[in-house]
Amino acid sequence: MHCQSRREFMARSAATAGAMALGASGFSGAALAQDKPVEMTIAKWAGVPKPTDEQIKQIAVKLTEQAIEGLGGMKRFVKQGDVVWVKPNIAWDRTPEQAANTNPEVVSTLIRLCFEAGAKRVKVGDNPVHQAKKSYEASGIAAAAKAAGAEVVYLDKERFKEVDIKGQRVKSIPIYPDMLDVDLMINVPIAKHHVLATATLAMKNYMGVIENRRVFHQDFNTCLSDITRFMRPRLSVLDAVRVLVASGPTGGRLEDVRLKLTVAASTDIVALDALGVELIDRKLDDVPHVPAAEKNGLGKTNYRSLALREIAVS
Amino acid sequence: MTRGRRWPRNWRTVGVRRGVQIALLLLFFALLILAGGVLREGQSSWLKLFFLLDPLILLSTLLAAGAVPKLLLLSLVTVALTIMLGRVFCGWACPLGTIHDLTGRLLDWFQRRTQRDHWSAWQKTKYYLLAAFLAMALLGGHWVAIWDPLVLLYRTTTVALWPAAQLSIEHTAAAVREAAVVDQPLRPKWAEEDAAGQVQQQSSATLKNRLARPVAAVTNPVHRFLKDNIFVVQRQSFLGAGLIATVFVVLLGLNAVRRRFWCRYLCPLGALLGLLAWRPLLRRKTQEQYCNQCDLCGQACHGAASTAAGSGWKPSECLGCLNCTASCNRQALGFTLVWPWRHQPQVETVDLRRRALLGSAVGGVAALAVMRVAPQARQTVFHPQLIRPPGALPEPEFLARCTACGLCMKVCPTGGLQPTLSEAGLEGIWTPRLVPQIGYCQYSCNLCGQVCPTGAIQPLSIEEKQQVRIGLAFFDVTRCIPYAYGRDCTVCWEVCPLPEKAIYTEKVTVVDRHGNATEVMQPRIDIEKCIGCGNCEHDCVFRDRPAIRVQSANETRHRKNQPELAPPASTDPYGS
Repeated sequence: MHCQSRREFMARSAATAGAMALGASGFSGAALAQDKPVEMTIAKWAGVPKPTDEQIKQIAVKLTEQAIEGLGGMKRFVKQGDVVWVKPNIAWDRTPEQAANTNPEVVSTLIRLCFEAGAKRVKVGDNPVHQAKKSYEASGIAAAAKAAGAEVVYLDKERFKEVDIKGQRVKSIPIYPDMLDVDLMINVPIAKHHVLATATLAMKNYMGVIENRRVFHQDFNTCLSDITRFMRPRLSVLDAVRVLVASGPTGGRLEDVRLKLTVAASTDIVALDALGVELIDRKLDDVPHVPAAEKNGLGKTNYRSLALREIAVS
Repeated sequence: MTRGRRWPRNWRTVGVRRGVQIALLLLFFALLILAGGVLREGQSSWLKLFFLLDPLILLSTLLAAGAVPKLLLLSLVTVALTIMLGRVFCGWACPLGTIHDLTGRLLDWFQRRTQRDHWSAWQKTKYYLLAAFLAMALLGGHWVAIWDPLVLLYRTTTVALWPAAQLSIEHTAAAVREAAVVDQPLRPKWAEEDAAGQVQQQSSATLKNRLARPVAAVTNPVHRFLKDNIFVVQRQSFLGAGLIATVFVVLLGLNAVRRRFWCRYLCPLGALLGLLAWRPLLRRKTQEQYCNQCDLCGQACHGAASTAAGSGWKPSECLGCLNCTASCNRQALGFTLVWPWRHQPQVETVDLRRRALLGSAVGGVAALAVMRVAPQARQTVFHPQLIRPPGALPEPEFLARCTACGLCMKVCPTGGLQPTLSEAGLEGIWTPRLVPQIGYCQYSCNLCGQVCPTGAIQPLSIEEKQQVRIGLAFFDVTRCIPYAYGRDCTVCWEVCPLPEKAIYTEKVTVVDRHGNATEVMQPRIDIEKCIGCGNCEHDCVFRDRPAIRVQSANETRHRKNQPELAPPASTDPYGS
């Protein structure tokens, strides 16, 4: 399955950017032709076809570096002395191989890039569904983030504050105040299947900055637009190194995991989510909250219409 | 009159004893707190060290369940120590004893002790209680263990003291932190630059903010450290913590009647050790020629072991605190090693009456019988809310072993294991049950079975544990949103942790009050998959009474509580 999609990808790359040698790093897409700043990058592995788990770790690092580089580097988003919150999906007590949480190497690479761009402090944290310590540790994110020099933050359930977000459906919701009190939040979801939303991607990842999120399920489309609008996404990075195509969001079966070896970054969260839908082998119609967000003016689902760079990494 | 050597005054030894007591009390708390912070398999057995040193748990498990948990054999060290040195465990090591000492010291400030603390025949109560409890144990009752002093302290600390300490610290820290922060509407900081035209007005710091800032500069990092290193698990809260705390406070309060009231009159472990200390090798000797019967020793005695000023001494009541030798102005008292067969007139035994012992035993049996005149005890009806942790033995064997120490509740990462009050009958008071609304059974966790000191919850591998059904989930269709209100919800479906979810959905067309037909996903339960972990109940949108609830039906441990015929065997069971 993923073999075929790589071929498709290659064909697309070739068509948009002209001839490109297989396996070489290169840039493609509309961005090269225009002066407009790049709005989205898709870094995809084009090296050895069946990497080992150890190789996947290195690939994840390279993909993340290239995806950010393609957007113009982390300096575009992080100023000297900034405090940054990297917000992965660490919702479950699952291992990286089970693809229910964001890949730890993607997270640690982003942390490193933030520091290289001059960040003073980088915090990492999520509001997990499972017990926080178990999820942080099983996901590998606690160790990876710590090693990269970030502060691993366990949210204090009692500190959530009711915030007036003035949404269509969600008027106010408890939000973790420290997550707002930073110079930048980088939203780093993993692309995976979700039994109810069909896909859980970048917008859905904002469910980890709030409490009392269960009510969202009664109208995902509007609620996710509401919280996304409030959070004003600037930079979102989609981890599709491994994706979960069924039994999400909890996962747990390795048969449901596909190796996509892709990391994408974008300033347009809706475009990123539209790409994520494709990466978990679904169609946009299956994931109504993504087109709904476009209708609500939060971004474009047709990511190809953006200033896009597709990068083959090897 | 024989001439004897005067004994050296040994205040230093008493100082050492106090140091040892405080150190062991701190160690007790430290181990218990550490046990709560280890969330993975392979918890060290050292964390339950005090429990393992308790011979009463060994004895009760042996009598009630006919089993000897290997690690508990460590308590033979205490037995040997007591036979040689008397009840030094009570006087030097028992953390509850130390707490009683400290309470007594506190009371000394308010209360002048006027009564003479000599042996009272009421001190025999503890031996008769022990006889009653042991008779219960022989019939599989675990009440002797739930009144064990170490178990009592484990339970009280876990359920009441520690959560209360954590709450006080957290709430104080939170109050200071909030006071230091300027109150203004929250929004993403990075969004401020976006709104170029309308610069948001920053509120200025109030006097309260400015006063709180230097305090917060200290408390915030301290609290952060505590949260990341000691309070790693979210603050636990327990049903019925008030009752458990009240029992504890009453026992401490009894120190106002007599110091160490619990140790002298009630403690079953103290009674057991007292029996072992009938004729210890280490004995007190009074050089009567120096004694002027001032009774300073009697007033300093922790255990009320002396029968009169200066002379008679009951080793079964002596806690080995050495206060008597230190308090004697005339250096007339001391301890020596004596061969067990040597008879000394000063050394007295506790004259337990055979008839009273027998009566107590009968009383214990009767009490147990009354407790078991409950429908549940017949194993034909089951309490739906009595969801035992995975690996728990069938109820009678479970009760025979469970000491209600609360270690499983302490380590439960979701805090879902709660002490029972009435669910398991009076016999099973304070034993663990899962309350999914408070915390679910984590799919990848088997800690409760790992820490259980008596095997009431069997240690299971993660794979084994994931096969054990502790209950079954039921929908309340009068509440469940897709059923009752025709809207989508299915949070339960999302959070079901089984790789192949035990909850599935069906698309159903419903008609609203205006006659419009819409499609909703209604959740259903697969009885063959559901293990009753309670994740669904825990995350249901209804917080008062969840619309999906786990009940004990279908639990693996009770065949009679399984409503359904087992699924057909995959291979021919007759082996043809």
